[in-house]
Amino acid sequence: MIVPAILATMAAAGEPVILCTQCHSDVRVQAERSIHSIEEVPCVSCHGGDRQGNSVATAHRGDFRGKIPRREVPALCASCHSDAERMSHYNLSTDQYALYQTSAHGRALAGGDDRVAVCTDCHGVHEILSSADARSGTFPVNVPETCARCHSDADLIRDYDLPGDPYADFLAGQHGVAFAERKDASAPVCTRCHGAHGAAPPGVGDVDRVCGQCHSTIRAYFLESPHRSAMEQKGWAECSSCHGYHLIAKTNVEMLDRNCLACHGRSSREVKLGEQLKTIYTNASDDLEAARALVDSAKQIPLYVEDYEARLQEGRTSLLESLTAMHSVDLAAVEPLTERARSIGKEVQSDVRGKLEGRKWRRVGLGIFWFYLLVTVAILVRFRRRAMRSVGRE
Amino acid sequence: MKDEPKRTSVTRWIEERFNLTEMFSFLTNFGIFPFELDTSLPLREAIAGALRRPMPSYARWPRVLGLLSVLLFAFLVITGLMLALYYQPTPARAYESVTVIVRDISFGWFLHQIHGWAADAFLLILLVRGWRFYFQGLYKPPREALWIIAIVTFLAATHVDLTGRLLGWDEQGYWNAVRAVDMLYSLPLLGPLFAFVVGGHVVDSLVLLRFYFLHVAILPMLLTVLFFLHFSGVRRVGLSQLPEESPSGPAVYRMYLYNVLILTVLIFGVLVTLATIVPAAFEKVADPFSTPAGARAPWYLLGSHGFLETFPVVVPRWVRGLALEAILAFCILLPFIDRSPGRTMRERRRANVLGLLVLVVWLLFTWIGYRMEVGA
Repeated sequence: MIVPAILATMAAAGEPVILCTQCHSDVRVQAERSIHSIEEVPCVSCHGGDRQGNSVATAHRGDFRGKIPRREVPALCASCHSDAERMSHYNLSTDQYALYQTSAHGRALAGGDDRVAVCTDCHGVHEILSSADARSGTFPVNVPETCARCHSDADLIRDYDLPGDPYADFLAGQHGVAFAERKDASAPVCTRCHGAHGAAPPGVGDVDRVCGQCHSTIRAYFLESPHRSAMEQKGWAECSSCHGYHLIAKTNVEMLDRNCLACHGRSSREVKLGEQLKTIYTNASDDLEAARALVDSAKQIPLYVEDYEARLQEGRTSLLESLTAMHSVDLAAVEPLTERARSIGKEVQSDVRGKLEGRKWRRVGLGIFWFYLLVTVAILVRFRRRAMRSVGRE
Repeated sequence: MKDEPKRTSVTRWIEERFNLTEMFSFLTNFGIFPFELDTSLPLREAIAGALRRPMPSYARWPRVLGLLSVLLFAFLVITGLMLALYYQPTPARAYESVTVIVRDISFGWFLHQIHGWAADAFLLILLVRGWRFYFQGLYKPPREALWIIAIVTFLAATHVDLTGRLLGWDEQGYWNAVRAVDMLYSLPLLGPLFAFVVGGHVVDSLVLLRFYFLHVAILPMLLTVLFFLHFSGVRRVGLSQLPEESPSGPAVYRMYLYNVLILTVLIFGVLVTLATIVPAAFEKVADPFSTPAGARAPWYLLGSHGFLETFPVVVPRWVRGLALEAILAFCILLPFIDRSPGRTMRERRRANVLGLLVLVVWLLFTWIGYRMEVGA
């Protein structure tokens, strides 16, 4: 008796009347949190039917669709999200569906495999949150876990030609360290390399492009190297052949000669070049390290070393730059940088050593000081003796 | 004498306007001349008289310790005044300004090191002097006041040292000060009094400022007064006499004046050598939030610190504090407790055994205090 009265009042007031959640109360809490609820997208936009229907019979009628089959989800979402006019108010792009259809997910779905990710797997079903919402699965920080829900699920992934546990690999690699340990907001997550809606693994010939988006200087050097064309001919992935993918290992100086052996013969010209690169790098690094140790010991005294610290920073920058230049495998590109680092190291060493040596003159000064001091004492002792003698005479 | 030619000299000109002898007499109150001067004589005659004064050996062992401490005090004042030209007593600037002194200022490191070494030597000499007074029974009448002054001088000196240690705002100095403040709070009667001066448990900018003021003004003034009193007393009651010595001694003062000069030169030499060859390490800046491993009380407090910290827990801390205070009171009141007149080694056998025992126990507690790893 009361409900129709309330409904009549609400209708009179022009309020939209939604009765779906009277029965579907389990969905209500989730739906009310979603961005769709905030933007007043009613249940019937997806599920059809009559939202003012007061019973199953009156509500589930007309274009009522009930539970949406997975394979229909992308097209259904796209019915609004690909509508440029409707989306313009939300400043949302409308190319997601088009991108999705090009993605590995989209192509497999079109091929009849409905176990691949559809919109709702990442964005949620009823509780769809904005990507700017920190609770959302598509919030950048949550992306690796969202992807891992399927891609690190061994049962699900078994039937596909995919790497086993990319999430664990990612966390163990340098990108994962930056992401999870250093909490570096600029660290790349899955979508940075694979794309979001158009998710696909970059193939040979594209890997360096993908990595080069961030590592642009390294890519520039790499493009100049003979490796670029040779690897493409052989069908080897560019960056990841040495550095790995997902598990991107921390680089170390050993890679400079050891990695060459993977393709080149032990006594080949290329391996010799690798050894040479390693040597000039190690020499420069050792010189900078020795300079730093000297600066540290001088700082303990303390001597004024702030200028040298700045200079060492310059040297370290050159050394780091030389590692970047190593990707050209061109001695002429690398050597000026390592030489610069090395000369800075040598220069700081000799300057600080000079300052430390200068302190040794203090000892010499002390010797001279004691000489004059003892002369003074001798004179005083003589005076005292004379005084004693005069006392004796008195 | 009318017909005497009238000599005009600066001394004479001044002497007609001031009593120079009186002024000189004031200066000799710091150990240079250990007897009373006749201030009614002109300066020249007073000095000539003083130089001819027969006396037991002076300015050599053992009647050198008082003079030595004054000389070191003078070194401390001079180097301290120079350091004060650059030092800034705020937590934000203290460490930096000391860094500037030892790093950038010409011979700043030298002044800083001499100041530090002279401080340690100063305390050590005062300590040795205290023990000499005890073992030779020099606290007996009429020297009771000199004994009390010696004890108070040592206490004041430890406080100058302690307040000075904080000023650098480095790790060791900071935690030395924290330990010392902790100790102050566990002394039942004196604690609250000192705590009032310090102002709280936390060693912060106000504590630094107060320590600075105590270090450069209050305590040096107190020490000056104490030295003045000490030598005033010495000039009235005479130099310490060992029972086997004759009071007039083998020589005149003029010889000992050279001793004073030689001593000054040698101390300076020793301080310069220490500063150059074994300079104290330049510590890291203090971090109030992390105690460095091995942060200890300064060496002269290690004994008391060890005593306070390692005594069985069943004895409440305030009782231990009270025990420390009782020991201190015993030291000060010793002349009124031990009233036996004997001063020869044979007569003092019991007292000397007791003294040795106390010395050994104190060294033991110093060792315990040193071994106590006061870590984070």
